[in-house]
Amino acid sequence: MSPTPVFELKNISKYYGEVSSLSSLSFRIDRGEVVALIGPSGAGKTTLLNILSAMLPPDDGTFFIDGKPVSSLTSRRQRARKLGIIRQQFDLVGPLPVVHNVLAGRLGEWSLFKSLLSYLFLQDKELAMHALHRVGLKDKIYEKTAHLSGGEQQRVALARLLVQKPEVILADEPVSSLDPARAEDIIGMLVRLVKEENQTLIASLHSVDLARKYFTRIIALRDGQIFFDLPVDQVTSQQLSDLYKIMEMKEDAEVC
Amino acid sequence: MQKFVDLHKRNLLSGLLILVFVWSLFSVNWGPDLFHSGGKHTILQMVKSFFQPDLSPEILQLAVTSAWRTLAYAVTGMTLAILLAVVLGVLASGILYNGKQRIWVKSSLRGLLGFMRAIHELVWAWLFVAAVGLSPFAAIFAIAIPYGGILGRIFADMLNDVKPEPIQALQSNGASRLQLLCYGYFPLAAADMISYTMYRFECAIRSSAIMSFVGLGGLGYQIHLSLDDLKYHEVWTFIFFLIGLVILVDLWSRFLRKRLVS
Ligand SMILES: Nc1ncnc2c1ncn2[C@@H]1O[C@H](COP(=O)(O)OP(=O)(O)O)[C@@H](O)[C@H]1O
Ligand SMILES: [Mg+2]
Repeated sequence: MSPTPVFELKNISKYYGEVSSLSSLSFRIDRGEVVALIGPSGAGKTTLLNILSAMLPPDDGTFFIDGKPVSSLTSRRQRARKLGIIRQQFDLVGPLPVVHNVLAGRLGEWSLFKSLLSYLFLQDKELAMHALHRVGLKDKIYEKTAHLSGGEQQRVALARLLVQKPEVILADEPVSSLDPARAEDIIGMLVRLVKEENQTLIASLHSVDLARKYFTRIIALRDGQIFFDLPVDQVTSQQLSDLYKIMEMKEDAEVC
Repeated sequence: MQKFVDLHKRNLLSGLLILVFVWSLFSVNWGPDLFHSGGKHTILQMVKSFFQPDLSPEILQLAVTSAWRTLAYAVTGMTLAILLAVVLGVLASGILYNGKQRIWVKSSLRGLLGFMRAIHELVWAWLFVAAVGLSPFAAIFAIAIPYGGILGRIFADMLNDVKPEPIQALQSNGASRLQLLCYGYFPLAAADMISYTMYRFECAIRSSAIMSFVGLGGLGYQIHLSLDDLKYHEVWTFIFFLIGLVILVDLWSRFLRKRLVS
């Protein structure tokens, strides 16, 4: 028997009113996989990642993390050890110095007293220093986070994940607000760190090129369904252009 | 549809208020005795003394001690008000709990804050003077309660308006609600909270001066005494001290704000 997968989804569906955002998705993701989630906007990528991160309950189907139902992750600490999340650059606390944003990755482990004390005397400082060193921001440790550029802020978010050390990282369009060069820099760094830490990564992306270059498996979503789910070397250009093609019938319907 | 009804109601209310205003104009007796006969003379005298405030050492000393007293009441009252406002504001924002109790606690605390600020500081001052006599505590509580109500309400709103993304990110880091408060809500809202508090501090100084008309000492009390004796030169001295005090606070708050923003 194969080892227990990190995620196992069977016929997962999510509806918003009449519209189904996800319809009957089934797949499994094994430990150590580096999966890109691609598809046109509105395909359901964010919805799927929210379900995987246990923030959104599915309306139908079954969903296991490490072979157990999500409800088994009861404490905030357990959940933070299992799942880490990174999104667009807007999820840092801008007025705080970089180091506190990085150390926020430890909040699940810290008591309230320890987290307050850290404002006066930095707690687990070496951990933060090491993480910032690995993302190349060692000299920005005391800078106000809001003063950093978009790419630097995303690297702070990566350092925070390094300090949190979750088993799985879920990334929702982590580079969609960056220019192409910066975006590639961040994705390359994210994938490298995930491999060094033996983590599992699922990232939704706008850029097919980045998905092909850095990831090992691509799940393509379209209209809430799996369009294809293949190892990266089996994905053809034809499939990719079909994925993003606007259906003629739909266009006609909109004109009417 | 809902929107339309609201708009309609609001127009109706505005119309009603305008009518009341117009009616009140008619009820004023626009005769020659609207100002009392000596009025012109008094005003002239006041204007003259504006250029010749009383700068004798006794009056200056009195002005300094009164200004000090006014400032002390305002600072102590505001300190208490901020403490009240942080505690009540956090509870009234509802960010510390969820579910059924949330709505209940939220609305009852917002009610309490509303009650605190619905009564003017001058009225609180009267009530406290009646209760504890002419003591500094009367002045301090009279500032602390209504200002605590105003600040608490604004703090609650500011905490509710904080961007949700950083908060969700901290939640995924495993932060508890109290950790969310000190690593997310407070840092994100601090600049706004402090600059609003500084603005209110200016108001508290003016209130503190006015409050002393009740007899609690301070600049307002001296202005009141000098006016009674028709000593307009002294009146202006005290008013200049009051203005100076407000300007000082304004400079200080501008300095603080600048440091916060950069
Ligand atoms: N909160 C919501 N309420 C209503 N519809 C939603 C909501 N969230 C997502 N949807 C719908 O679900 C579909 C998938 O959205 P989403 O998961 O955000 O797609 P993606 O991230 O791939 O762009 C879209 O059609 C969107 O309109
Ligand atoms: Mg999305």
